[in-house]
Amino acid sequence: MEPILKTENLWKVYRTGKVEVPALRGVDVEVLPGEFVSIMGPSGCGKSTLLHVIGGLAQATRGRVLLDGNDLTTMSDSARTLLRRHKVGFVFQRFNLLPTLDAYHNIALAQHIHGNGFDPHRFEVVANLLGLSQRLHHKPSELSGGEQQRVAIARAIISEPKIVLADEPTGNLDTKSSEAVLSLLRQLNKELGQTIVMITHNPDAATYGNRVLHMRDGMVVNGSTVH
Amino acid sequence: MIGHMITQNVLHRPVRTLITVIGVAVEVTLVILVVGLTTGLLTESAKRTEGVGADIMIQPPSASIWAAFSGAPMPISIAGRLRGLDYVQAVAPVLVQFNSVNGLDVVYGIEPSSFRAVSGGFVFHSGHDLENTDDILVDDVYAKGKRVKTGQTLHILGHDYKVAGIVEHGKGARLFVLMSGLQEMSGAIDKASIFFVKCDRSDHTPAATDEIRGLLPGYEIRPLKDFISLMTSSNLPGLSAFINVMISIAVAIGFLVIFLSMYTTIIERTREIGVLKSLGASKGYIVDIILSETALLCGFGTVFGVGLSFLMRWVFTSIFPSMTILILPKWIVFSALIAICGGLLGAAYPAWVASRKDPVEALAYE
Repeated sequence: MEPILKTENLWKVYRTGKVEVPALRGVDVEVLPGEFVSIMGPSGCGKSTLLHVIGGLAQATRGRVLLDGNDLTTMSDSARTLLRRHKVGFVFQRFNLLPTLDAYHNIALAQHIHGNGFDPHRFEVVANLLGLSQRLHHKPSELSGGEQQRVAIARAIISEPKIVLADEPTGNLDTKSSEAVLSLLRQLNKELGQTIVMITHNPDAATYGNRVLHMRDGMVVNGSTVH
Repeated sequence: MIGHMITQNVLHRPVRTLITVIGVAVEVTLVILVVGLTTGLLTESAKRTEGVGADIMIQPPSASIWAAFSGAPMPISIAGRLRGLDYVQAVAPVLVQFNSVNGLDVVYGIEPSSFRAVSGGFVFHSGHDLENTDDILVDDVYAKGKRVKTGQTLHILGHDYKVAGIVEHGKGARLFVLMSGLQEMSGAIDKASIFFVKCDRSDHTPAATDEIRGLLPGYEIRPLKDFISLMTSSNLPGLSAFINVMISIAVAIGFLVIFLSMYTTIIERTREIGVLKSLGASKGYIVDIILSETALLCGFGTVFGVGLSFLMRWVFTSIFPSMTILILPKWIVFSALIAICGGLLGAAYPAWVASRKDPVEALAYE
């Protein structure tokens, strides 16, 4: 089976004046369709940078990133934006919902940007799956942290992306809400076959996936399968 | 979706929205009122000149259509020669002086009988006609604005006049004195600024005009309907430039208000822009949001500005009854276009900046 995501000798170097800071140093990663991969590591090891590069939000310095057969490293910013629109869903630690829109419009916004118009059936399925049907007309300020993250997940999957990239999705949640969100992600993976790559520093959260990769100092140091 | 988003954005910061809308409204009001005031001044002046009732107006060679600026270089004996022409029923010489004491007013020095023959005479609200050189007639608009009553003393052209009567407005000037007295005061003995000519029939006006041109070659001889059409801003020295400067100032106000408003908006919404980019929004999508929000704010500002213009017109004309402010539909549309185009121009740079934000940096923005 071809991997949905593959990086080859991936480097990302930040330049501040004359100082160069390598955030990624030759990262090789493969993710197969339907996998739920957790990436763990201490702060500053490059986890978020890796997520940003494989999601097309940042450009690699050298190496290759193949996402669903498309080489991101040879793409322009516009091309990466287009790819991200159709193939990637993001979930962030801070939810990043638009505060002026209610839950309904935050989720519908993703469909609008996607460009295929509003699909009420898909919307209903996702809203029900994530238990949001009764909360759709509330703005983020009226939702709990767990609810906000569920809205963010709904927004990420509404357009059926090839891969969901979750950056510390439980970082701002209490234990109970964290478990609920992680269970949802697992459910999406198992029932819908959604490919997920999740960044976390929490070992318990990492066990919700079926594979864990460990990073340190910009490199993947080892990986293991979760049983 | 975008409509909903920008509406929510506009409502989310009501004070910012209000200030932006007011800024655009001021721009629109400024354009409408400046043009309205100048157009009103010209139109009202033209109407009053038309109201004299003459068919032809004669001025000295190369005279400005603004009679108050033309002095009094024509010998009054011309009136006698004009009266001898075919098709000429009556001739009224008028001496025009510009008063800048206690206001800005045009004063007509007239011969009551000849002026009556051309104009049909004044309609008196109170008092009587001019009888001596210290008498002055004022029209009702002047009287209302300056709270003048019959019998009161007015200091005009450096001379104390007694208000002999208050007349209906619309016959050339707002102030009328005897020509003989005005000639003596201004050192223009036996001189006139304008001759108003009434034809025996209005359809004889072209023939009468030709006759007069033959009699007075080189003089400015204008059928009054032609004269009226000349009363435009382009014919008053400097007025077009003044209007253009005021419009430019108004555009600059709108541009700056919108620029500042949208620039602070995109800084405030940096993280939101990062979120949109993470969702795959293109640069064009983000520019579209910024410019659509700008257009909405300019639209509100325009509507508010038009309403404010009508309100300000009512205020000004209540305080200054002699002021005429014409609010023309064409200029409402034009000021709306100026507001929207100026606003979109002002938002162009902030929109460009927003579209080029690095999504990773934007998402990390506090």
